[in-house]
Amino acid sequence: MKRSRSLAAWALIGPYALFLAVFGLAPAGYALWTSFVHDGAFSGVRNWSAVFDDYRLSDAAWHVGTYLLLWLPVLVLLVLSLALTLHARPGRFSSTMRFVYYLPGAVTGSAAALLWLFMFSPDASPFSPLLDLFDITSVTDALSGSTLIGILTVMGVAVHAGGWIVVLYGALNALPRDVLEAAQVDGASTWRTTWHIKLPMVRTYVAFVLISSFASGSQVFVEPTVLTTGAPGQISPTWSVNQLAYAYATQEGDFGKAAALSLAMLAVGLVAAWIVIKRTRMYATDDR
Amino acid sequence: MNAISRTARAVFLLGAAVFFGLPLLWLALAPTRTADDLTTGSPLGFGSLGNVGAAWSHLMRYNDGELTIWIGNSVLYAAASVALSLALCVPAGYVLAKHEFGGRRTLLTLSIVCMILPPAALVLPLYLEMDAFGLVSTPASVILPLSFYPFGVYLAFLHFAANLPNTLLDAGRVDGAGELRLFWSVAVPLAKPAIGLIAFFSFVRSWTDFFLPFVMLADDRTFTLQLGLMSLLQSTGAVNAGSGFSDLDIHQPEAALAGLVAAAPTLVAFVFAQRFLRSGLMAGAEKG
Repeated sequence: MKRSRSLAAWALIGPYALFLAVFGLAPAGYALWTSFVHDGAFSGVRNWSAVFDDYRLSDAAWHVGTYLLLWLPVLVLLVLSLALTLHARPGRFSSTMRFVYYLPGAVTGSAAALLWLFMFSPDASPFSPLLDLFDITSVTDALSGSTLIGILTVMGVAVHAGGWIVVLYGALNALPRDVLEAAQVDGASTWRTTWHIKLPMVRTYVAFVLISSFASGSQVFVEPTVLTTGAPGQISPTWSVNQLAYAYATQEGDFGKAAALSLAMLAVGLVAAWIVIKRTRMYATDDR
Repeated sequence: MNAISRTARAVFLLGAAVFFGLPLLWLALAPTRTADDLTTGSPLGFGSLGNVGAAWSHLMRYNDGELTIWIGNSVLYAAASVALSLALCVPAGYVLAKHEFGGRRTLLTLSIVCMILPPAALVLPLYLEMDAFGLVSTPASVILPLSFYPFGVYLAFLHFAANLPNTLLDAGRVDGAGELRLFWSVAVPLAKPAIGLIAFFSFVRSWTDFFLPFVMLADDRTFTLQLGLMSLLQSTGAVNAGSGFSDLDIHQPEAALAGLVAAAPTLVAFVFAQRFLRSGLMAGAEKG
């Protein structure tokens, strides 16, 4: 009985495990190997120390750190509050709103560069009153100094929030109705139901949002690259750590250094993931 | 809900809608306007439908309408990788949530590792791997790596762990249903909202992915829409005038139109995925 169950389990998960090995672990293992190789020969930690000595890294790490500090809390709070508010009263209005919130995430590539460049041009932007409020008189203004981090945060939130709102809304939507109805019968207010019942029940999803967003924020690449394409010369092409890794791989053709830096980013993401998993018991199967 | 909290809710949701919606409204209006009007006219002005037609014919003039070939390629690659990733993710997520077996935690952890592994680390190894398989510059070199989708496995895992009661499965076992049958006839039908969501995110990932096709595909007739548009728009300097050279009339309105064409399938897929969400199949499953 037990044997046949575990056999069935492997039959269902086997194909995925194979893909995991071939398209995940094998390339990752190869990357680890290349991070210790220079000019075709094993070179110990040479690539790693070269990366950590790169004068561009500390700037990039500082940029990404400040970005995460600003972007991650704004994103998570906005996603949670919008998803919970939408779920308090499901219906046509709520589903239209989810669609609208997703819109900026659908625009990619060159069109995104064009779009965001115009959004931050005071003369041409529909947001010009807001830009005036922050004393931004030109795109150059918007992309320089401390305004840049704010601009990137706004972009990053606009692009990433919609997908997570849908994920969380889906999780809320799947909650057993009897529990929520029981709370209502007991006279719990909407606010109390949200805070004490719904939120704890979707905690594994919140953990997932945190893990994924921390990783994608610490590997931020698209937003600064998009602004660089739109306004060349304004932002350093190695503004973020991930951009630096791409510069190693593509411009300098140095895959050893690219691999070393990528794996260092992975390590940071894994530490965050480990903390979140421990605190939320995300792996448990015995909940229900 | 009293009047004050209802108003607060509406203000919050509609305010967010302005923030998320205005950028796309601007983008949707841009192809109706001329490049000059975009910088000097009113931010949300409407030009003429004739301009849209002109912009479209400018885009189609590039390599005798190669754009339509790219669209066809993108549809093919995305459809294949969505189908394959669903076939891998859903059973894997189910087993990880509902079976205790040796290797479960390892698989969960390795999936997280691969999920947050920076793509820059994988570019070279994946290319070498595809080269060894003799698949470089074939559709399979894009489809297969995209079908490995640990993010989707996690969505399935979280859904089954939170929403599929063990009692339901045990009841099936008492009735003599085999493990594979339980998955197919009990778990899958109850997971339709989650499957819709995974299909959507998997589609978005395949549709918008740029770097993998960029590395794998050499012949521009096998390009995806994203890749093709990037080369079209960059070679013509449409986004920032002056960085390219072309005798084609490709400017900002054309770039905006191209962006809309690229974004439209994502939005259609979103609407489809939402229909699965609304079905709310879990209600009362445990009682039945």
